[in-house]
This record gives sequence, structure tokens and C-alpha cells, in this order.
Amino acid sequence: MEEKIRKTIELPEITRIEGHAAVHVEIENGLVTSVQLEVFEGTRFFERLVIGHQFYEIPHITSRVCAICSTGHVLAAIFAQEAIAGFVQPERLRLFRELIHLGMIIESHATHIFALALPDFVGAKDLVEFATKHKQYFDSWTKLRAAGAAIQTAVGGRPFHPVNLQVGGLSQYPEANDLLALKRQIEDCKMPAFDVAEFLLGLTPPVARTSSPSFVALIPDSSEYGYFGSVALSSDGWEAPVTDYKQYLQEETVAYSHAKRTTARGKDMMVGSMARLFLHGNRLTGVAKKLYARSAMAAGDTNSIWNNLGQAIEVIQALDRVGEIIDRLASFQKSQEPRPLTSASIEGLGVGAVECPRGTLYHAYEIDDAGTILAADMITPSVQNTGRIELDIREVVAAIADPSEPSLQSGLETLVRAYDPCNTCATHMVKVSYR
Amino acid sequence: MPTVKMTKTIPTISVYSLTGCAGELLVILENLNKMLPYVRILSFPFAQSTNDDGPVDIAFIEGSVSNPHDLERLVSIRRRCKMLVALGNCAVWGCVQKGACSRFDAEQMRNQVYGEQSTIEVMPASRVEDHVKVDVKLSGCPIDSTQLLAVTASLLKDHLPYIPQKPVCLECKLKENPCILIEQNLPCLGPVTATGCGALCPSVGAPCYGCWGPSEEPQMEAMAQVLLEKGYRLNEVLTRLQAFGAPTELFSRLTSSQALVNPPDRSN
Repeated sequence: MEEKIRKTIELPEITRIEGHAAVHVEIENGLVTSVQLEVFEGTRFFERLVIGHQFYEIPHITSRVCAICSTGHVLAAIFAQEAIAGFVQPERLRLFRELIHLGMIIESHATHIFALALPDFVGAKDLVEFATKHKQYFDSWTKLRAAGAAIQTAVGGRPFHPVNLQVGGLSQYPEANDLLALKRQIEDCKMPAFDVAEFLLGLTPPVARTSSPSFVALIPDSSEYGYFGSVALSSDGWEAPVTDYKQYLQEETVAYSHAKRTTARGKDMMVGSMARLFLHGNRLTGVAKKLYARSAMAAGDTNSIWNNLGQAIEVIQALDRVGEIIDRLASFQKSQEPRPLTSASIEGLGVGAVECPRGTLYHAYEIDDAGTILAADMITPSVQNTGRIELDIREVVAAIADPSEPSLQSGLETLVRAYDPCNTCATHMVKVSYR
Repeated sequence: MPTVKMTKTIPTISVYSLTGCAGELLVILENLNKMLPYVRILSFPFAQSTNDDGPVDIAFIEGSVSNPHDLERLVSIRRRCKMLVALGNCAVWGCVQKGACSRFDAEQMRNQVYGEQSTIEVMPASRVEDHVKVDVKLSGCPIDSTQLLAVTASLLKDHLPYIPQKPVCLECKLKENPCILIEQNLPCLGPVTATGCGALCPSVGAPCYGCWGPSEEPQMEAMAQVLLEKGYRLNEVLTRLQAFGAPTELFSRLTSSQALVNPPDRSN
């Protein structure tokens, strides 16, 4: 009888991602039998820990799910509660919120592109080598990251975990003149952002992709390439209000895995920059539009490695939009601004969603008549991408003749990193196990 | 005659994370260009792929101990480092996950989120100093860049840094902010929260929610009494005071006190 040939590929700790994760692949007689993305981050039970808090405290607590996209977790919580309160944000408030959100997009994308993803492509083994041998990129990252942090500080009070964003308004509305200084900083970022996008545009994907994912993203609620919205759109052709998220997103526990997997109407999904560009790329303007038109993505290539380039294109679009918003804010007459809601006048159920750097983030709350949280639910982007990451790994390994080839392992790490997985975000709904 | 080879050794640092939001890692990244000339980074898995997990001069640790794996790593790091710095509220106090474990049973929370059959190993979130010796505790959520650089500079000169633990009201007063607790009846926790942030929240007119962790000798009972008198409910007050990891023993007299009853609503 022929003996089975078993092989395993182990990536015990994937470095340069947010949080702690490992990949295990098992191959039997040349067939991939199992792929596991193991997240071994500690659990914090965020949906449970907000219970008993007052509604106005929630944004500042959910912020702590994740530092790098804390502004997104703050806004998703605020939008959910404002939906319950029936509060409609006036345009000026909306612009401040969009501005700080773009600051997060710039900072988060820049950190992922330069510090986490780029070393794979330029071959830097550690931080010192990156900072010295690739000083140009290190400096570009510093510039972009600092600009994103400056925007978030100007509106939110600090680079992340913003203190100024509240349910129903801002605690203090920044003076439009104080924002003008940001415009020069933004101008200085455009060239470095363009350079890295050009570099990423010219790369050849290290591993091939054999099938296309289902892309899902919010339909922007304005005519711009935006990140706020209340209706989700899928590349499979359906759209649905986010209040129905439990109907179109299915969470399932898989016996072998530690992570709950989320599928969209039964299919593995991908959220994030590539999904947004695929669905709303026609809203891009200026340089971002031209870069996207030249990309493999625009030509229909859905290899997830292009998510790095997708992020760079979004940074360029965001830099332009930040300038527009600052000009628009300067044109407003001083008027009565909405003050943060603190009284216990909100009661009921509500859902809020926002496009975070890594994809759509959902928050849902139930609040009693004293303004106290009774129940909460959160679905993070990284959880929505897990199933698709595993499928990618399976397809890539199956397509390669000799899985022991060392380049495959590094290729797989590069692929996982391209999704920019954020395990601090994912963990509150991840089952942990050790082997 | 044999020559003595003089080598100047650059101090080494490693940066590790347990269970948290990775905020302290971001603050270190933000200050990397200021730190790199003076230290050699041995291990920083968040930011580099080639890591040396051997002996190191200074280990910076963020995150709380929330499962046996965290604890195992922490003990191993302590064995290998000369100085251990607990960075951020999670490592110093346990942050919001500790706040939750003060109010709810950790295993019960697990069962509610993952079902009764769940096999996840959970530990109630705890501080780094609950398990190993900590040389420096620098709280913050996130930590303050200036404090991080000052702590690093002190340690590189072989002395322990001074980190003030007075209430943040001190910074607020220096900024000449009006007191939003007294004048606007907002639930500001400044009087029992450690200084270090620069009084960010009250400076924009928002009440402090205690993210730096408790100040030295925090007067929790007096703080609670003030909020109760302003019409906040006892449950609301206790939940807010414990949210960012203040140890439960600070509230033992408060929760058992018969004297403390809800006074009538005086807010209007």
C-alpha cells in the first residue's frame, strides 16, 4: 500500500501585523487538507464589558478595541447611538468627523504600507535596516504618519483614542483657521505618497490568486469617495441597509478553528481598500483616479496583494479631500453647534457602520430608558476577512508543486500581511486555543 | 603586551505586547527616530521580522495578562531583561478588560460570548505587577510621548525615573480651565485620576473618564459622594469609576457602606 505523504507548513508567529496570529497548513498527497489562521490574542469581551455603562461613555471605551483604528470604533459607536436618538448630524459636524476619519485612514494606511508591508518588497530585515538603508521610505512614512496624527489631534485632541468626539457633537469645535496649518503639512505628503504608489504599482504579485472574492463595502452617503454610509453593497450584486447586517452577514463557528468566520450571504468575503476601490473606484478624482486606472485592479486583477497599492491610492485621495474639507470648514459662518448628548433621553436599538482602514465596522446597541447599555454587538473588518485569507492560502498552496519551497512561506506571510489583519480588533470574537 | 579592546556597547531594548489595543506600540513607533540613535532594538515583532529574544537591557511591555499564554511570555521576558517597564494602562492597571472583570465573572463572560461548551482559557485580566517584579510603571491610554522618552533617557543613564501620580486636576488648574465638575455638573473623574495627559478632556470641556488609572491615594468615596449629590445613580458612578482598571479594593468601603445612599436629585 502506498504510504501517504504528509507535509505541514507552519508560520508560528506572523510578524509585522497588528496582534498575534499564526498560520498552519496541512498537505496530504499533494492536496491541501487544512488551513488555519490562528489568532492567539487574549480575549477582552468588548460586547460584554460595555454593558451597564451610560451611552455617552461608550465611544471612549470601544475606542480601546484597537489603537490604530480607534477613531473608527469611536465613530461607529457614535453613529449607532445617534441612530437611536434620531439625531441627524449637520454638515459642519459631519465634515469634522470626516476630517478626523481621513486622518486615521492616512496614519493607519501609511503605517501598514511602509512599516509593515514594504520591508517584504525592499528586503529590510529589521527596523534599523529599514531606517538606514531605506531612509527615503522611512522618512516618507514618518511624514505621512505625522500628518495623519496631526489631523486626528487637531479634531480629536490626541493622535488616537480621541477625546473630543461625542454622541451628538464635538466637545469643542476647532477654529477653522487653526486647521489651515495642516494644509501645508498635507502638501508635503503628496509626493512621498505618490512615489510609494508608483513603486507598488510596478510590483509583480509574489503569489497568484485563482478566484475572485465577494467584495463588500458601504455605499458612501455623499457623492465623494467616502467612508460613511448606511447601505452595504456587494460585488455579487446585492445591497442592504446596515440595520439588516445580521441578515446578510453570517457568523459561524468552525470546528477546527479558533476564529468565528463571517460570510456574506454564504460566501467568503473581502472588505477594505480593494473592496472599496472595486465598488466605488469611479468616485476617485485627480491623481488617485489616474493611478487606479493604471493599476492591475482596474483591469480586473483581484489578487489581494494589490490591497497595499489600494491603500496608497486611498491615501492620495484622502490628502486631496482633507484640503477640500479644510477650505469648506473655513467658509462656514459661525452658528449654533450641536452639543454632546448627556441626558438619558435615548432609548432603543440602533446600528452604526463606518468604513475603517481595513473594511466595514459594525456596532449595534440596545439602550434602556435610563441611557444604560443593555446589549452590544460588534463585527470588525478583520473577522470578515478571515475566511477569505484562509481560502487564499489554500489556493496558493494547492497551485504550487513543491510546498517545501522556502519562498512559499515568505510569500504566504506577504499575502496575509496584505490584508492588514488587525487581531486586536478581531479578538473579542475569536476563540483561542493552543496546541 | 596584551591590548585591552575597548568596545562601546549600545544598550538594547525589546518591545512586547500582551493583551491590549497595541497603542503603546504605536507611540514607540511614533518616537522611533528619536530612540534609534541611542538603543539597539532586539525584538519588536509588531514592527520587524528578524527578532532576537535573548537577554536584553530594557523590556517594554504593553497589555494586560489575560490568559495563560500572556503569563508564560511575561515570565520568560522577566527572566531575560535587566529592567522591565510596564507601559500603558493595560500593563499598569489592566484597563477596560480589568474594569469588566471587576464587575463580571470572566468565565461567565466567556460562556455568554462563546457558549457553555467553550474551551477558551480565560484568566480575569490582571496587571503585569500581579505576576512579576516591575521596575517602572508608566501609565497612559495611550502613554504620553514625552514621558516615554524621559523614562527611556533615565534608564539609559541607570537611574529610575520620577513619574508623578498626583490627580490630573493639578494640570487642569495650571491650564486655568474652568472646573466642569463643579460648574457644569459633568461626571469628571479628574480628582481621582493620575496626571500625565495634560488634562486633555476637561481642556475641551469633556469630563475625564479616568483613562490614566487612579492617582496616588485616590479618594474614591469622596468622589462618589460628589457625583451622587449631583444626581448620578450609584451603579452609574461605580461603573464609571471602575471602567479603566482601578483596583476593586479601592471600592470595598464604598460598596459596603451603609452611610452612602442615593441622595435626592439636585441637578435641576
